[in-house]
Amino acid sequence: MKEREAVVQDNREVATDTFLMTLACDFPPFTPGQFLMLRINSTCDPFLRRPLAILSLKGDSLEILYKVKGSGTSLLAGKRPGDVMSALGPLGNGFSTPGQDEEAIYIAGGTGLPPILALAEKVRRGRLIIGAFGKNDIPLWNRISSIRDVSVQATTEDGSFGKKGLATEALKDLLHEISRPSIIYACGPEGMLREITEQARMFGARCEVSLEEYMACGFGVCSACVVKTSEDSRKVCAQGPVFDAFSIKWRD
Amino acid sequence: MDISVRITPSLTLKNPVLSASGTFAYGEEFSRLFDLSLLGGVVTKGLSLLPKEGNPTPRICETSSGLINAIGLENIGADAFIAEKLPFLRQFDTSIVVNFFGTSEEEYVLMAEKLDIEGISALEMNVSCPNIKKGGIEFGKDPHVLRRLTANVRSATSKPLFVKLSPMVTQIGEMALAAQEGGADALTCANTFPAMAINEKTCRPILGNVTGGLSGPAIKPIALKIVWEVSKQACIPVIASGGITTWRDVVQFLLAGASAVEIGSASLRDPLCFTEIIRGFADYMREKGLKSVSELIGKLKTD
Repeated sequence: MKEREAVVQDNREVATDTFLMTLACDFPPFTPGQFLMLRINSTCDPFLRRPLAILSLKGDSLEILYKVKGSGTSLLAGKRPGDVMSALGPLGNGFSTPGQDEEAIYIAGGTGLPPILALAEKVRRGRLIIGAFGKNDIPLWNRISSIRDVSVQATTEDGSFGKKGLATEALKDLLHEISRPSIIYACGPEGMLREITEQARMFGARCEVSLEEYMACGFGVCSACVVKTSEDSRKVCAQGPVFDAFSIKWRD
Repeated sequence: MDISVRITPSLTLKNPVLSASGTFAYGEEFSRLFDLSLLGGVVTKGLSLLPKEGNPTPRICETSSGLINAIGLENIGADAFIAEKLPFLRQFDTSIVVNFFGTSEEEYVLMAEKLDIEGISALEMNVSCPNIKKGGIEFGKDPHVLRRLTANVRSATSKPLFVKLSPMVTQIGEMALAAQEGGADALTCANTFPAMAINEKTCRPILGNVTGGLSGPAIKPIALKIVWEVSKQACIPVIASGGITTWRDVVQFLLAGASAVEIGSASLRDPLCFTEIIRGFADYMREKGLKSVSELIGKLKTD
C-alpha cells in the first residue's frame, strides 16, 4: 500500500453514466480484485476517499471504470486531463488464479464489471458473462469481446443486447454444458452473488466473490465494512474484498 | 525549540499530535505507511473486558464535511490486546494511550486494573457508554456518576488517566469538573456528536444502528468552543479532538486551551496526514519564534 499522486490523462463516458478514466500514476503492481482509495478533491466535502476497483495497470498508466452514483463519482466524472488526485493502494486481496485443469468462469453484474474484466484480461482464458439492464449500460464491449481465448456473452434484462434475462440464468446454462471442474469469479449485486454461490454449490464448482460495503478508510482501521463469514466477522477492505463464496453468511 | 508537551509529571508527549481512538485500530496498518515513533502518542481502539462484535452494517455514512459512524465499539478485548497488540506497539518510541470502556462501574474498574501494566503510558476512559444498571444513561451525562466512576477508576490504576467527555451535555464544564474532582489527570474533549442520516427514497435510516456519532471537520467549530470552555474551568490539561485535519487546526485548538490534540477522521482520509501536520506545526513554532508549546496553550487573545 502506497499513497501516490494520480494525474488524469483521459476521462470518457463509455456507457450510460459510466466512465473510463486513465491516470498517470507510479502505482505498485496489483492483483485483479484489488482496489484503490481515490481522494478526488482537496477540500473537505466530500470528505472520504472513494474505493474503486483497479481495471488495469500498464507501466504508469492506471485505468479505472466507474459509474456515477453520488457526490464523489459526480466530481470524478467532471475531472479533466491534468487534474491531480491521490491514490492509495493497492488495497485488499485479489482473486486467485484458476488451476491448470480448471475452467474459469467470470461473471459480472452491473457495476461489478471492473474487477472481473481485470481478471479476465489477465488470465486470458475461460468464459465471461456480463449482465446489465440494457445495451447502453454495457461499457467497452469491443474491448471485452476481443480478449484472447475468452468467450464472452452478454445478458440484458430488457433484451436490448445479447440474451434477454439475467446473468445467473446464463451461468446455469453454462454450468450444465461444462464437464470439467470449474471456478467461478463473480462481482455484482448481493442478490446475484448469493444466487451464483448456490449454483456453484449445486454444480460443485469453486467460487470467489468480490463484495461491496460502505467503507471509510479502505485499509482495515475503521471496521466499518464488515461481513459475516462462517468463522467470524471480516473486514471487506482488508480481508476481502474477494472471499470464498461458501464462507459468506449472506444477509436475509 | 521544543515541541514536547508535559501532560502529567510522568507523561510527556514528544509532540502534541496523537491518533484518536477508533480510527487507528491498534496501529499495525498505519505502521506500514509511516514510522509511528513520529507521533506524540497512539490512542488505541476502545477496549472492553471481553471481545465485542459491533453493530450491523452499514456502519458508516458520509455527511457534509464529515461522517457518522456506528461501528459499535467493536474490539478484540483487553486480554487479546495485551497479548497480541501491545508488544507490537511497544517497539515504537511513542506514548501508548489505551482507550477503554465498560458497561458497569465494576467493569471500568476491572479494566483499569488489568491495563495497569508496563508498556502502557496512559489510559483514556470513554464515558459515552450506557450504564446498563442505571437504565442505560451514559456515565458521562451525570456529574455525580462521573465523579464516582472517575474516583474508583483512579484508585485502581497508577497510570495517568484521561477522561474522554461526552459533548452532548447541558453543561460540559460541570462534567469536566466532576472528572477532575474524581482524580482525572486530563480531559479529552470530546467524543463524537450523536447524529443520524435518513434515506428519503427507502424511508429508512442509513445506519444499521439507526443513530451514530458525527466526526470530521463538520464538528470542528463546536469542538473548539468546548475545548475553550472546558480549559477555562478545569485546571488539568485538555486534549482536543474534533475535526482536526491540518496544522492550523492544531494551533487553533492549542490557543483555545488544549495541551495536545487527537486526529481521527482525517487519518481515515489521509493516513499520512500526521507527518504533514507535525511538520507544519513545528514550522509554525519556528516561524513565530516560539521556544516551547506552553507559549501557545490557552494564549487566545480576547481583549
